[in-house]
Amino acid sequence: MIPINAVFGLGLLIFFIGLFGVLFRKNLVIMLMSLELLLNGVNVLLAGLSYHMRSPRGSIFAIFIIIMAVSEAAVGFGLVLSYFRQKKTYDMDEFNELKG
Amino acid sequence: MIAGLIFYFFAALAVLSSLFVVTRKNAMHSVMYLAFTVLSVAGVFFSLQAEYLGAIQILVYGGGIVVLYIFVIIIVNLNEIKPERRKLFPRMFIFSLPALLFLQVINVLFTNRPTPPAGPEAGLSFISFAEMLFSTYLIPFEIASILLLAVLIGAIIVARKKLLHDPD
Amino acid sequence: MFVLIPLFPLIGVLLNGLLGIRFFSKRVVHTIAVGAVGLSFLASVGSLAGLLRSAEPIIVKTFYSWIPGSVVRLLGGRAASVSFDLAFRYDSLAAVMTLVVTGVGLLIHIYSIGYMSHDKSCARYFAYLNLFTFAMLILVLGANLAVMFIGWEGVGLCSYLLIGFWFTKDSAANAGKKAFITNRVGDFGFLLGAALLISVLGTLDTAGITAAVESGSMSKGLSTAAALLLFLGAMGKSAQIPLYTWLPDAMEGPTPVSALIHAATMVTAGVYMVARLHALFSFSGTALTVVAVVGALTAVYSASMGFVQNDIKRVLAYSTISQIGYMFIGLGVGAFSAGVFHLMTHAFFKSLLFLAAGSVIHALSGEQDMRKMGGLRKSIPKTHAVFMIGALAIAGVPGLSGFFSKDEILAAAFASGSYGVWALGLLGAGMTAFYMFRLIFLTFYGPERVDPEAKHHLHESPNVMIIPLAVLAGLSIIGGYIGLPHVLGGGRWFAAFLASSTGEHQVQLAAGTEILLMLVSTAAALAGIFGAYVVYLKNEGRPAERFTARFKALYQVVAHKYFVDEFYNGVIVGGVLRLGRLFTWFDERVVDGLVNGAAWLTRKAASLSMGFDTHVVDGAVNGIGTVHRLLSAGLRRLQTGYVYNYALAIVLGIVIIISLVVTIL
Repeated sequence: MIPINAVFGLGLLIFFIGLFGVLFRKNLVIMLMSLELLLNGVNVLLAGLSYHMRSPRGSIFAIFIIIMAVSEAAVGFGLVLSYFRQKKTYDMDEFNELKG
Repeated sequence: MIAGLIFYFFAALAVLSSLFVVTRKNAMHSVMYLAFTVLSVAGVFFSLQAEYLGAIQILVYGGGIVVLYIFVIIIVNLNEIKPERRKLFPRMFIFSLPALLFLQVINVLFTNRPTPPAGPEAGLSFISFAEMLFSTYLIPFEIASILLLAVLIGAIIVARKKLLHDPD
Repeated sequence: MFVLIPLFPLIGVLLNGLLGIRFFSKRVVHTIAVGAVGLSFLASVGSLAGLLRSAEPIIVKTFYSWIPGSVVRLLGGRAASVSFDLAFRYDSLAAVMTLVVTGVGLLIHIYSIGYMSHDKSCARYFAYLNLFTFAMLILVLGANLAVMFIGWEGVGLCSYLLIGFWFTKDSAANAGKKAFITNRVGDFGFLLGAALLISVLGTLDTAGITAAVESGSMSKGLSTAAALLLFLGAMGKSAQIPLYTWLPDAMEGPTPVSALIHAATMVTAGVYMVARLHALFSFSGTALTVVAVVGALTAVYSASMGFVQNDIKRVLAYSTISQIGYMFIGLGVGAFSAGVFHLMTHAFFKSLLFLAAGSVIHALSGEQDMRKMGGLRKSIPKTHAVFMIGALAIAGVPGLSGFFSKDEILAAAFASGSYGVWALGLLGAGMTAFYMFRLIFLTFYGPERVDPEAKHHLHESPNVMIIPLAVLAGLSIIGGYIGLPHVLGGGRWFAAFLASSTGEHQVQLAAGTEILLMLVSTAAALAGIFGAYVVYLKNEGRPAERFTARFKALYQVVAHKYFVDEFYNGVIVGGVLRLGRLFTWFDERVVDGLVNGAAWLTRKAASLSMGFDTHVVDGAVNGIGTVHRLLSAGLRRLQTGYVYNYALAIVLGIVIIISLVVTIL
């Protein structure tokens, strides 16, 4: 039996590492990768809960999350590409069109 | 016992590689470590007896998203990025927020222990997984497929070079 | 019957006063006025006859319950029912007074027809005269002090109206005011005395007071207090010291007015009042002594001023004051009937003198200064004749009325042991004779000092004026015989008659002493006459001038009436004025200061509130705007445009929400 706390801890760790990546990296692509980490971390949590509850519900939900992640990554990359064509840079500090 | 060991092995691997993902300056390195992370997490899933989930993880994440990232990096020539500079004070402030969140979540998670249900649940087998997916969660499943379709179209449109309202 | 007596003059007043001024001719006015008084006189005679015939000496008739009875707690602790009625009382004293008032009044009314023939305010004059007669009759007929007070005030008012009859003349108007105000001071005492009587005895009835006093329900002290307070009123009305200053100035009025009011009737109201309340005064011996002393002092004091006056009417005015002093002497030694006797005789000869003086003035076309007269004996012989009779009467020459009345008073004074009073009275008699004959000699004898212009119009008065004079002269001669004392063979009928209302007073003197006293007073009178003769006729006033030159200061003091008027003006009037000025100052400074201060406070408060409004209120409003501006400036920084800042914000939001959820759960 895997203790539920361990799973929790793992999931949280991955999640927060991903969070750090989102907040701290200027590089847009790396930021997006950290986003994937976030989602992975959540999936780990869900899988652990599913295991603990002996029910497939958790993993079903994790499936859906993966689907979301995929779709979001695809669209996101499309945006990145078009944005890069305009700006010619990935520096987040330059992304300030919304500044009014 | 063995499941536990496997779990811990893959867990450590996942944490380590995710750390490297966020800290590498080279984007290619980050992508590689992302691949490692994804595979490690898949291993974790297997150890948690969520076989289907692990399989999907490898296929979709590893085969799809990571490859996608590699392609994007190659296309946009990511090495032209200037070095990162951050001021200290904002850094500390930014650091504190996730830390706070972390603490609170830990507090919540570890004080309220989820209890396993008394009665028999569906179980962790693949069959029960499939049954639940296609009965209780059928509608979300269908919608998810529609979503994928929309994303497919949308991504193409967004990434096109030409503008939509081109007069030709 | 006696109720009718005041009714006729009242009708006369209403007719003449309301209608006569506009509609009636002079003849009608005269007829109404004289007729009214004439009828009143007849009623008086008739009432006297009735009184003599009837068994009871006193008749009281109540008309109307003025103030109904209410039970009050008196000063001594007793409870009594106090009420005041409009009631008349007719007894021997009232009979005498009504006869004098209506009789002499009638003669004066007739005289006035001639004297006032030139005046255009005829109706007003006769209306006032009738009104005065009416008021005086109410006064003497009152059964209690309340009704008497109505008449008291009434005659005061009428004297004001008549003294200031020619009100366009400043001096006349002032004289009227002076008379009324001085009277008022006396009335103050009257009211206090009446109030005291009410609180102690619970009644103002003459009969009630007499009964109460004789039964001893009043202490000596209280009765003295009440008597003296009432006497204060009498002093004002009858012009004794110190409230006499109005009478000489009252000569501003027409001469018949002086005759009626200031010789025969109004000034005698005080004497009447004391006589009415003889029981009260007798009971308090102190009060009687005060009355006698005041009378004696006034008699001499006033006579002294008659020595130096040059206005013919003023000499007579001071003479009046002096003679009333004699009446009070009589009352003061307990001889109430003697005082009233002198009142009657004085009414005869004093009004005679005044009317005769009026005749002289009329003959000289208004001249009143004796220094511009002289030798008129030849020009106006009838006036001279009656004047002489009056002078002899007042001097106390035996055979005329004045002698009998004055002598009775002096005898009573001597008999009661008040030798000081008697001595003063004797001195006054001599002085009276002197100044009276000074007047006679200056006016009718000696060289003529008359203005040529006046001399041109010199004429005897018309018969309508002479006839009343003659009647009065006759009365002055024979009027005294009804009081002829025993010692000379008479029956003292007058005193006996009055005994029923003024009490018995037997003069305990040996016959011989009485005869001696008479001789002494006669000697004094003759000495006075002779002195006047020597100074003014024989030596044509030169001794007087020498005396004046040697004793200049004394002359000045007496000539200026002992500066009493100046004293009153300065101290009392000036004091009142100064008090008024003090109050004005107070009002202006303090009261107005307070008002202004309140206004200043209001202004300050208003500016304060305005300041509050501009600074605090507006400041708050502006402050809100400022805060808003600052806040928005600050908050604007959030909209950085940096995407990743927004991500940070999301994280921050999550942190907060989870913290909230954690803490609440």
